Amino acid sequence: MEFNWKRLSALAILLVLLIVPPLAIDLGSNIMNVMVTLFIYIILSQSWNLIGGYTGQVNLGIVAFFGISTMVTHFLWKEGLPIFAAIPAGSLSAAILAALIGLPTLRLRGMYFAVGTLALAQAAQVVVANIFVRQVAMPASFTTAYSLAPRYYLGLFLVVVATAVVYFVTRSKVGLAMVAIRDDEQAAQVTGVKVFKYKVIALLISAMLAGLAGGFYAYVRLSYWQISIVFSPLWTFDALLAVVIGGAGTLGGPIIGSIFLVVLSEIFANTLGQAHLIVFGFLFILVVLFLPQGLMGGVDLVRAGMYRAWRSVRRPTIV
Amino acid sequence: MDTVYQTVVIGIAVGALYGLVALGFGLIMGVMKFVNIAHGSFIIIGGYVAYWLFTLLGIDPYLSIPAVMLVMFAMGLILYRLLFSPLLKYPRAEMRLDKSLLITFGVTWILDNTVTLIWTPDTRSIVTSYTGSTLDLLGAKLGLTGLAGLILGVLAALALNILLTRTYFGKHVRAATEDSGAAGLSGVNVQRTYLISCGIAAALGGVAGVVIVSSYSIAPTGGLNWLLTAMVVVVLAGEGNIAFILPAGVILGLLQSVSTLVVSPAYQQPIALVVFILVLMFRPQGLFARKG
Repeated sequence: MEFNWKRLSALAILLVLLIVPPLAIDLGSNIMNVMVTLFIYIILSQSWNLIGGYTGQVNLGIVAFFGISTMVTHFLWKEGLPIFAAIPAGSLSAAILAALIGLPTLRLRGMYFAVGTLALAQAAQVVVANIFVRQVAMPASFTTAYSLAPRYYLGLFLVVVATAVVYFVTRSKVGLAMVAIRDDEQAAQVTGVKVFKYKVIALLISAMLAGLAGGFYAYVRLSYWQISIVFSPLWTFDALLAVVIGGAGTLGGPIIGSIFLVVLSEIFANTLGQAHLIVFGFLFILVVLFLPQGLMGGVDLVRAGMYRAWRSVRRPTIV
Repeated sequence: MDTVYQTVVIGIAVGALYGLVALGFGLIMGVMKFVNIAHGSFIIIGGYVAYWLFTLLGIDPYLSIPAVMLVMFAMGLILYRLLFSPLLKYPRAEMRLDKSLLITFGVTWILDNTVTLIWTPDTRSIVTSYTGSTLDLLGAKLGLTGLAGLILGVLAALALNILLTRTYFGKHVRAATEDSGAAGLSGVNVQRTYLISCGIAAALGGVAGVVIVSSYSIAPTGGLNWLLTAMVVVVLAGEGNIAFILPAGVILGLLQSVSTLVVSPAYQQPIALVVFILVLMFRPQGLFARKG
């Protein structure tokens, strides 16, 4: 395997830039909080990217996987399990839930998977809210031990993990099958790709990633949260928005999209209030209609345009 | 025995409302091969329009139905022109479906947040002089608003069926459903047919909204739950099987209602999900699909 050293070293520099400054100087809890939120978004949108962007199955209920993992992680952690074991356990519970809904709905084409996942998310919200009290809080011993730094680094670690998982899955045989299914399911089936099997694999990995995001959320927000917030369809929409705006089916798309989204909402939430969500809605539709490759595709377009401009400038001197 | 009879009566009335909720969704699904996630928002907006007509002008919700339908019809036309018609450029049905899911999800987002801006996130309902009163049906009690939902559901389903099977426009709709390319070649104005179908679907959603706001309550985020009901009903009826949407709704309503005899009423929505999954596993073509 040939490494792209330029890209690798750029990645290393980026990681150092993300790791060192919080150690060296105090960035303040504001910036750190925004970064932690950003990490949750990136993990969740990478999860959606795998099933929606690479495999082409529109999942409208990713919040169910996020939420179930938040609950499981929260209670296991509260019972004394270390957080490093609680988050994987939450992630696993998300995968089990995914298998329950995925096995019947992924067999069929069309809207069934989208409807099934949406129904699952709504039903999960109702069931969990009925079983537990409507809000959940950690005991005081946890809240006094709260500090942002370990959350920042765990979040960064999980972002790297999620991105690496997507990178290696999409560059494997499984990834090839996933893209084949997205581009033309019938053709993939005819050429011998086991469509159903690979769809389920994609869903399970995606659910586990969403579970990581959920577990991390349980680690971050421990003082007080409401179950309706953890299971709110807002999470699904945000992940979808980040992936589509950044560029579905690209590794960098969810990252760029999440940064774009978090920065914009930081700017607009104060000036526009509720209306900023409407702006996001219009933005989303415009991107779906006119920029199917998202911002990543936009970058390529600009690059191609610049290259063409450069060529046309250079050509006379060559001749 | 009395309680069973009572739950059956309520189940039928609620089921007719489910059918009414699903009619517009099923129409768009069948005719245009779109999944219209925004249908729940149509319903909610219809309810809010009736709410405004009631609180600002004092018009009875059931008398305001024509006005609500008109407003919603216009909204359907505008949305089609602005957001749905670009979808037609995708030639493959699969791709159109995926894109419609994404775009209508965005539309839902825009509509829900606009509704929140205009009417605040509070839960609203219309309380009239007859809201609490009930009717005696051979020993079972049924609220007048529930009865109104039943009647309106049946009327709307009948009207839609007559429109689709007995009129020239209905012929166009069915032709465009069958094969939009061939229909276009034989002189059907496919774009216009889609446009008007979209308006009708939104108007039907508006009627459902009026029933919901006067017999239950509405909140800006409530659309998603009604959308889900609509989807389950359409899956029960079978895709594109518009004539059987109302019976499918009644079946779902009966199932949910009877289930309250056994488990807590809070689990009605999970029961809809279980029904949905069971139908998908054993009868993916819907309960009423014809053989062959």
